[in-house]
Amino acid sequence: MKKLTTTLFLFMMTLQIFAQDQNPEAASGSLYASDKIYVVVVCAAVILIGLILFLFSIDRRLKKLEKYSSTKN
Amino acid sequence: MYKSWWKILGSIFVLYATVAGFLATVPELPILRESIRNLYFHVPMWFSMIVLFSISVYHSIKFLLSNNAEDDLKAVESINTGIVFGILGIITGAIWAKFTWGQAWSFDVKQNYAAIALLLYFAYLVLRNAIDEEQRRAKISAIYNIFAFPMMVVLLFVLPRLSDSLHPGNGGNPGFNSYDLDSRMRMVFYPACAGWILIGYWIYTLLFRLRRLNKNRLS
Amino acid sequence: MDLLSQVKFLIKKELLLEWRSKYALNGVLLYVVSTIFVCFLSLISVNPVTWNALFWIIMLFASINAVSKSFLQESKGRQLYIYTIASPFALIISKTIYNILLMLLLTIIALGFYMLVFDYVPTDLPLYLVATLLGSLSFSTIFTMVSAISSKAGNGGMLMAILSFPVIIPVLIVLIKLTKNAIDGLDRSVSLDEISILLIINVLVGAVSLLLFPYLWRD
Repeated sequence: MKKLTTTLFLFMMTLQIFAQDQNPEAASGSLYASDKIYVVVVCAAVILIGLILFLFSIDRRLKKLEKYSSTKN
Repeated sequence: MYKSWWKILGSIFVLYATVAGFLATVPELPILRESIRNLYFHVPMWFSMIVLFSISVYHSIKFLLSNNAEDDLKAVESINTGIVFGILGIITGAIWAKFTWGQAWSFDVKQNYAAIALLLYFAYLVLRNAIDEEQRRAKISAIYNIFAFPMMVVLLFVLPRLSDSLHPGNGGNPGFNSYDLDSRMRMVFYPACAGWILIGYWIYTLLFRLRRLNKNRLS
Repeated sequence: MDLLSQVKFLIKKELLLEWRSKYALNGVLLYVVSTIFVCFLSLISVNPVTWNALFWIIMLFASINAVSKSFLQESKGRQLYIYTIASPFALIISKTIYNILLMLLLTIIALGFYMLVFDYVPTDLPLYLVATLLGSLSFSTIFTMVSAISSKAGNGGMLMAILSFPVIIPVLIVLIKLTKNAIDGLDRSVSLDEISILLIINVLVGAVSLLLFPYLWRD
């Protein structure tokens, strides 16, 4: 868990660095930049994240089932 | 359900649609700009949702005719999967709307009706949780599912045509065919829809198999 | 007994029961009248759009209260008795017809009183009347089936509201649009679309509930 939080923290720091890298005049708000291609990127990411979270929930259900069948045998 | 060729087919379609969706050329459009590529990500979500809900109605009808508990499980799990796809559709739609129409929730008719259609299925899940007895729960929820389906069809296919919408193809706006879905976009759009529908079906079969295992160990 | 005489008999039974107690009618009338008074006291004068919205809100809750009684109120013993003497088709048809009659009466009284209190008459009164009649028709067909479902599910009022709101919202959208046309005094040909959609929804809901009710009824 600790490792995970550190990784997350470091990841967020890199995000910060990326954010500072951006040029300020990029058409008011970053998602408007370069012809709104980032809107598509965000949407694709949202779908991926959603499906991955869904996978995790399926995984949790499977784990419960596995735990039960391992105690039975 | 157990063959894997269609799972591979779906994966290839989705992979192709994602790569081509970002790299293929798209027509120049004034406000949409490059975000027209969202067509390959946002719209297939809705198609998968509708297909999954139709599958659940099919299984609900089968349940009423056969009284087989497996059909009920199939109906629930396809609704669960359909709801996930619907929520993804709503979120991607809100993001897209934010940067093209200016507001995440612009009270566009299609947005509202899609949200209400999702509410129908949330009500279905509430109904299932309200009944304890298994046989009765299966029957009553199957009946509600079939009862709600025509309403969903009216909501998503009939009512939006009555009023003005920011979505293409409604009210005064021209449909996809007239301006942006040229043959190049079609080459990506149709495989994207087919691919996402197959992936949705795949997830549904996974959930169903899991639920069936769970049920078998309980009985 | 054939279907027609069963239906007649059951409607007569409902009317007789209602006539003896006058419980549903009086209760709902009291509800409608007091709500209208509260609205009047707090608003005194309203613009037509608010007037319309308030009317539909009042009618929505009044009809839920009125129609939900039809199945929720029946005792176990009486249900068993009806089960032995009548077919499920006769039962759902008679309940629906009875509810339609009740709602028509209620709507007419409520509309008259509402117009009297606020001293406002819609520009196109006949069209507004048609809209309210169609509204009471669809309210009663939809709520009858939903109340049957929720009474079978076993915990009455709360479930009734959750199940019926997503189903009734599409109807309300069309109704509000239609009555808005009537208030603005638009040409009647404009409203034909809405009227036909309402009729289609009614036919659809009627057909679906006729098909589904036998499954719901036999336990």
